[in-house]
Amino acid sequence: MSETISYLLMAWTDPNLLLLTALGTFAGIYIGAIPGLSVTMAASILVSFTFSWDVNNALALIVGIYIGGVYGGSRSAILLNIPGAPSSIATAFDGYPLALQGEAGRAIGLSTVMSVIGGLVGVLVLACAAPVIGDLALRFAPRDYFLVAGIGLLLVGSLCQGSLAKGIFAAALGAIIGMVGMDPVTAQGRFTLGQVELMGGIHYVVLMIGLFGVAEAIYQLHNLDSTPIRQKVDKIIPSLAMVLKFLPLSIRTSVIGVLVGVLPGVGGDIAALMAYDHAKRSVKNPTQPFGKGAYEGLIAAESANSAAVGGAYVPMLTLGMPGDAVTAVIVGALVVHGLNPGPMLMVDNPHIFWFTVGNLALANVFLLILGMMGIKLFAKLVEIPKAVLIPLIMVLCVVGTYSINSSMTEVYWMLGFGLLGYLLKIFGFQMGPIVLGAILGPLMDTSYRQAMSSAGDNPVELLNELVSSPLSLILSTALILILLSNTPLFSWLKQKIRQSA
Amino acid sequence: MNKTEKMLVGEGTFAVLLMVFSLGIGYLSYQIAGFSSINSAGAFPLGVSLIMLLSSAAILLDLRKKSRPDSRGWITAFKQFSATHFPKRTLVFLALAIVYLGAIQWASFYLSTFAFLVASIVYLRNGRVASAGVIAAGLLLIIYLLFTLAFSVYLP
Repeated sequence: MSETISYLLMAWTDPNLLLLTALGTFAGIYIGAIPGLSVTMAASILVSFTFSWDVNNALALIVGIYIGGVYGGSRSAILLNIPGAPSSIATAFDGYPLALQGEAGRAIGLSTVMSVIGGLVGVLVLACAAPVIGDLALRFAPRDYFLVAGIGLLLVGSLCQGSLAKGIFAAALGAIIGMVGMDPVTAQGRFTLGQVELMGGIHYVVLMIGLFGVAEAIYQLHNLDSTPIRQKVDKIIPSLAMVLKFLPLSIRTSVIGVLVGVLPGVGGDIAALMAYDHAKRSVKNPTQPFGKGAYEGLIAAESANSAAVGGAYVPMLTLGMPGDAVTAVIVGALVVHGLNPGPMLMVDNPHIFWFTVGNLALANVFLLILGMMGIKLFAKLVEIPKAVLIPLIMVLCVVGTYSINSSMTEVYWMLGFGLLGYLLKIFGFQMGPIVLGAILGPLMDTSYRQAMSSAGDNPVELLNELVSSPLSLILSTALILILLSNTPLFSWLKQKIRQSA
Repeated sequence: MNKTEKMLVGEGTFAVLLMVFSLGIGYLSYQIAGFSSINSAGAFPLGVSLIMLLSSAAILLDLRKKSRPDSRGWITAFKQFSATHFPKRTLVFLALAIVYLGAIQWASFYLSTFAFLVASIVYLRNGRVASAGVIAAGLLLIIYLLFTLAFSVYLP
């Protein structure tokens, strides 16, 4: 027990580890804030020059980058409507409208506190229930991933704001864009129009930068002559009463974040969107309508994406299966240092597990301190005259897109998606469902085909599996209930129940 | 029927184009593997394209609830659409962006970015070349320090 506590507090007591965690968190915040600079990329670069370091030092730096980077994406989402990272897509829905009302400082302050709460919930779950949850994640069959992706796609109902048909169309369009390229099973080209450049597919970050960054820049040209909104930067730190008021929602959405984060291949982006959907359904009287600057939307997204970090560590440390791209890089780092992540890690090297738990908690504390710094300066970014800001956004979009695969073709695609996004925006389409479709479409396609193969290409057998496995049955029921809640039948039933009560 | 909401100029044409686009996607999906198997590479894309077709039809049908826009005839509607959504300022900025992307590879990233920033800032502010040059140089310096020196990111 005393050994466990000493491992847990190792990062808190060693000045070297304290400094590296702080440095990583600080760098992560700013890397995450720049669209196109991904946490995965930063972690990969870091791993390469930490080979000769002590494993604890290397892990401290990477953990800091990871925690800071997931949070940092919210900065550009709130200030410019460009999510710095995919996990911040949902943050932009209510964060940017808040910036337009001059509330950017307060929004960033609140998102910092809620990210820390989410992060700590994730760490707590990792510490208390890692082996149990890890085992549960291993029970997920391809059909269950198919169902999870299906539930994720039903979030369209929450994201489309207005016409459901437009939301469904947008999500389907996103799914088609996500499937462009080589089929992962047969290596057959899909929607490539005979172009070799398209065989590698279209990275969804290219789509995200085009739809959110370029489309927004073009759209803002209409408001060029409007006076920049003065940001209120006097009350950045949210009051205790405000934090306590939103704490139950933050904890609820953090739990969603952890559970989604545990699933391999499903990360903070989906966790945040699911949490946003939950907030929209469960909060009866938001501070402002969702999509127009509701604090509740911001809190749900930020709590969940930070909690998903703790979740992503669960399968990595207990089963050796990375929960997302960053944890995949961390697995590589552990292997390089002669450690074997998986069921035996807890037996052979328990200090790595408890050290990581303590280090994640420490990085969250640094996030609270460092995240609150520089908000006033960041908030002023929105006050830059649009004639300077719009060309700068365009240049950042080019740099961000090019940095993904060093491909100019992807930069041209980004501009094309920007124009498409602008047109869709004019006619009342939302960008969220398109990106959601691009992320979930390929996951759904692959898991559908794996599930169908395991059922011997027999749809009846697949249906049988869906109802005979307890996990699949729970997920199928949830999917059907969410589907029904999107239909007029549900509203009618709710009204009837209220009348009879 | 509630006819209070008015259709946007070009909304009907856009909805029809979405349907045509969905049909095109359906054709491309069919070309992948036809209806060969429920588990083929084209099975899921076919299903998605069907959803696109049905939702675009629903979008088109939804327009029946709206009243027609004020513009009469295709040419007037096109002119009105262009003036509203693609005014001269938008078109010039887009043209500058396209030239910029085309020039990056042969004129180098820093030179083309500097030229793009100066040209677009001068155009959007209606003048002040010297200050636009200083701003562009400052922004380029930040980009160099941040992306090239700090993060070692490959620039175009």
